[in-house]
Formats: sequence, C-alpha cells, structure tokens
Amino acid sequence: MRIRKNRVSKMAVITEITKKEVKEIVFNFFADECEVDLAEIHNETNIIQDLDGDSLMFLELIEIFKKKYNLDIELKTIGKYAVKHPIQTIGQLIDMQLLIIEHENKLLELEK
Amino acid sequence: MSEKSLAFVFPAFANEYPDDPFHHLTGFAKYFEKCLQQAAELVSPDLAEFNFKTRTFLDDELKTQFITYIFSCALSSYFKDRGISSAYSAGYSMGIYAAFFHSDIVSFQNGLKLIYRAYKSIRTVTSNAKFSMGTVIGLSRDDVLGIIEQTGSHVEITNQNNVCSFVLGGIEEDIRKLLDFAKSEGALSTNVIPVSGPYHTSYINPPGADHQMIMRGIQFNNPAVPVVSLIDQKILKGEQSLRDEIIRNLYTPMNWFKTQLYIQHLGVSGFIECGIGKGLTKNAKFIEGDAVFLSPSNLFLS
Repeated sequence: MRIRKNRVSKMAVITEITKKEVKEIVFNFFADECEVDLAEIHNETNIIQDLDGDSLMFLELIEIFKKKYNLDIELKTIGKYAVKHPIQTIGQLIDMQLLIIEHENKLLELEK
Repeated sequence: MSEKSLAFVFPAFANEYPDDPFHHLTGFAKYFEKCLQQAAELVSPDLAEFNFKTRTFLDDELKTQFITYIFSCALSSYFKDRGISSAYSAGYSMGIYAAFFHSDIVSFQNGLKLIYRAYKSIRTVTSNAKFSMGTVIGLSRDDVLGIIEQTGSHVEITNQNNVCSFVLGGIEEDIRKLLDFAKSEGALSTNVIPVSGPYHTSYINPPGADHQMIMRGIQFNNPAVPVVSLIDQKILKGEQSLRDEIIRNLYTPMNWFKTQLYIQHLGVSGFIECGIGKGLTKNAKFIEGDAVFLSPSNLFLS
C-alpha cells in the first residue's frame, strides 16, 4: 500500500492503517531476522539486548520502508536524528519509522 | 542450484561464535576436530582446548584467526566430500588463506604457517604505534573520505562492504576520533573492530618492510578452483601472482562490494559463506543482483 501524501505540506498523512502496517512490518522483520517467535516481540523489547539485533538490520529496515513508501530521505539525515534520539526498543524504532515516513528529508527540522 | 554457479567465500576472523555450529551439518564436528588436532600439533597445543561454548580465544587475535581458518578449511573439506564444489573462491581479508586451501593452492599446514608468519610480520612493522580498525555504516565513500580529510586523521579506507558500509584502519586514537565525528555527521552506526593491526593499510608496508619471509619454504600449486582477488577483482593466474596476492593482501585496500558484483558477473548465482559466522551473508542483502547467499546455518546436510 502506498501512503497518501498531503499536496500542500508534502508531508505524508499517518493514518491508523499506516501505524498498523509499520508495526506489522517491524515485528515480522525482527521475528524473521532474529529467529524468534512473533509473540515474544513487544514494543518494549530491546533490539540489541533481547533480540541480538544489529545496525545492518536497522539499515535493511530503512531500505524496506524507503522502497515501500517511495521515501526521499538520505541515510545521514536519519543518522543525525538518531544521534539525538537513540533507538533501543522496538516501539522507539516504530515511532522513528513513522516520523521518517511523515517528514522524510525534513526530519531534522523537527529539532528546530 | 548448479554447482558450476556456486562461489565459496571465506570470512576473515570471527568476533563471536555460535553455541552449536554443528547441529545443521551432520558429521561436520569430526572434520573440525581433525583439523583442530592437526593445528594444535603444528602451531599451538592450546588450540586443542578450544570450545565454542566457552568462547575460547576470542580475546586472542592470532588464535582467533587460527580457529576461523580451521573451521573454514574443515567446512571446505566437508563440502568437497559431499560432492559440493564451487566454480570460484574468494577470501575476505585474512580469509585468503582458507580460500587458497580450498583451491588446493596451499596445504592445510602451510596455510597455518602463512597465518602465523603474516601475523608476526605485521606485528614487527606496527610496533611503533597503537593501531586499530573500525566500521562506518550509513555514509557514502565521499562522505567518509571527506571526514578523513577534515579531521586530518591517519586513517585509510581498507574495504567497502556495500554502498554505505566501510572498514577503516589506522592510528588507534585517530580511529576513535573519526568514528565519533562520523556519528555526528550522520553515520547510522560506527564500531571499533577489536584488532591491533591496521590490516590492508599502508602502515603495514612502511619503507624497508620486507614481508617476503612469510613465503619461505611454502609450496604453491596451480589453483584447482579459480580464486578472485578482492583487491582488483581479477582471477589470480600463475604462481607469482598467487604469491604476490598473499603479500599485497596485508597492506592493500580491498573492495568486497565490487568483488561480489564481479563474481555475479562471472555467472555465479549462489554464494556459500564458508566460515563460523554469517557476517558476509548479512551484508549481501545490500548488494544488487539475484544471487543467493548462504551461510552454514542455512544449510542442512548429512
């Protein structure tokens, strides 16, 4: 499903459907990659400590969302944002992905 | 999958071990034990005490290289005995010795000797300073080169794993500063690699360095399986070219990204990572093309 974008602000509209979809993608991704039962993954699950996740998984997930939502965002924009908002849990990662979908390359403007 | 379309790739050295690397591969433990015993008799009796579950030797750079090599060679023999052969082989960094063993260029014992001598030779030429290596993920090559220039670091790019993943080597303090700076410039991830040598940098080839002693008395045979160089993405031909590769591999940058693309261009549609971990397999997800990448944990053989 492609997300609909607001033509005036050029920001994507994050609907409940989008939130559900992003959550499902993230949960399924880590269940597959880390070979754990889907039921063991929660918003509070720590990606590194509980799932033995790594930065390549984070990168892969970003690429999945970039393709799925046709996002215009540079990796280093995400990196700069992540320095100030470190990701530790699945819930934090989902929140960040939603912000990326919504703001794309304007993500850092949220800091101003 | 046709055997003609397979390439075996051999990783450098492990920084983590699986608890039970044998459960997918029936009978493999015997191959590993046999190689381990031979290595213990030849280079270090301590190797006989190796145990995956206790993470033996992970803090010992040389012995970890031995264990990685032993595991890779055992896997190579295990696959060969089951009729699984490859059209090409390639060694990632210090994985070159296992790739040469797989291609019947050097014996198992001589591969161990090459590892030991190369390690000692590198220690000799790098004893004047503290060196280290690191990784940067999420920046472009131009970004990384710009940061090196901007920070005036004594650091070099030693490898490119994919379009936005780089390995660096150089002076330890500069590596740490550069990684911190890269993070502030938008790198998604930076890590220090726990090694003491700046492998694949010019620091290993200072004026007057002579690594030729590494090769003394080592017999090189014609490759039974063509080996692709990670340095210039060419198939190594002739004894001198094979010997030169062992030496220049110590101090020349490599490019794993280009090498994978080149091997696919040769018609390879499947890679098997012949090693303890699955780092190369993970990284392959970011390489364009349809080739399948498998690590031993994906394989079920009897």
